[in-house]
Amino acid sequence: MAEDREFLREVWEGKIPVCFRLAQEEIYTVDQPDPFFLLVPRLSYFPLMTDKVVKHLSKHVDPDNQGEIWLEYEGQPLKWHYPIGLLFDLFGSKADLPWNLTVHFQNFPEEELLHCPSKEAVESHFMSVVKEADALKHRGQAVNNMQRKDHKTLWAGVMNDKFDQFWSVNKKLMESTGEETFKFIPFRVYQLDNMPIQKLFKPTDDKGDILTLRHMLESALPDFSENERSVVIQGVQPDLDTPALWLSEHLSYPDNFLHICLHPFAAAENES
Amino acid sequence: MSEAVKTVSEKSKADAPSAPSVNSTRTSPEDSKSSDDNNSKPLSSSSAKQKNPMKVDILLKHIGDAPIMTKRKWTVDRTKKISWVADFIKKYIKSDSTESLFLYVNQSFAPAPDTDLGSIFDCFNSDGKLVLHYCRTQAYG
Repeated sequence: MAEDREFLREVWEGKIPVCFRLAQEEIYTVDQPDPFFLLVPRLSYFPLMTDKVVKHLSKHVDPDNQGEIWLEYEGQPLKWHYPIGLLFDLFGSKADLPWNLTVHFQNFPEEELLHCPSKEAVESHFMSVVKEADALKHRGQAVNNMQRKDHKTLWAGVMNDKFDQFWSVNKKLMESTGEETFKFIPFRVYQLDNMPIQKLFKPTDDKGDILTLRHMLESALPDFSENERSVVIQGVQPDLDTPALWLSEHLSYPDNFLHICLHPFAAAENES
Repeated sequence: MSEAVKTVSEKSKADAPSAPSVNSTRTSPEDSKSSDDNNSKPLSSSSAKQKNPMKVDILLKHIGDAPIMTKRKWTVDRTKKISWVADFIKKYIKSDSTESLFLYVNQSFAPAPDTDLGSIFDCFNSDGKLVLHYCRTQAYG
């Protein structure tokens, strides 16, 4: 259990170096804004990270034409409600580091992005995903048995990057009570140009045999082929024979979901 | 797998907090009728209308002072988003599009507005229907 905790801590401490640059077409001042560098936690959300970015860059934008900040990578608007690590695994995994993002304050893409009115909106979204995960794992019982202050502690742990604080509550959500492990594994599969896929998946089969990541992906995507797709979770490519339950317990994001990215192997890689 | 889903839904019904609406008793006869209809299609009397895999059946229930919809059972494209359902309900109950409407699954969580109905249905439907509760204020914060 001790080495598991070390593993959990390593996952928690994953960070991505990001370079924020103001969109060229939005620069209004004569003096050019410097790019802004931040090392951001994989497990966090961009709206929690961008106060300084806004402070630094917004003064270079026309004050009469300045709306909510939104981020874009090579033309792809980034959804604020996805954890940063997921956004990177999905869009930036082949990028050079630091990950170069473009900052906008104009022309908010209403069709593609949700607005983020406040940090409370991020908390509300986070708690909703946690509840959804628990609905899948424990029929919602673990979350229902918590007090409101436990919910607040979970969120405070995420917001303030406090591993111990977070896990003091999260361990209750990761418990397998008695003989029952998780009823279903909370997971979502993401691919470029596709909607995310989420399906019911039990950690063991009817005979009680432990099911693996490979089983989980095959059940969610009938045409999944490990020869054609690389599988990335939390920035690593786990062995496909890893038990799905173990992955859920150790590689989930703080929202208690496994966010799994699939990428096609490049043609060149296939041939070799 | 379907049995497990049924268990989840029965449990959540048992755990459901009492709906604060005066009209809740009136909705039950319709509900029990539809849940008894295990083999027939809840939205159509025609047996020729097989379950279209590209569409899902949803049942909309109100919470609190949110207006009740006369027609609450709908068949919707899997690819429609939660935000589309919210806009649809707002138009139906003649609510302004700028007003808030919260949609809940399992009477516990609010999916992100850009979530497609198909995913939510696959994971949280009971007896082939996805029950969504709508409310004008945050009900399960």
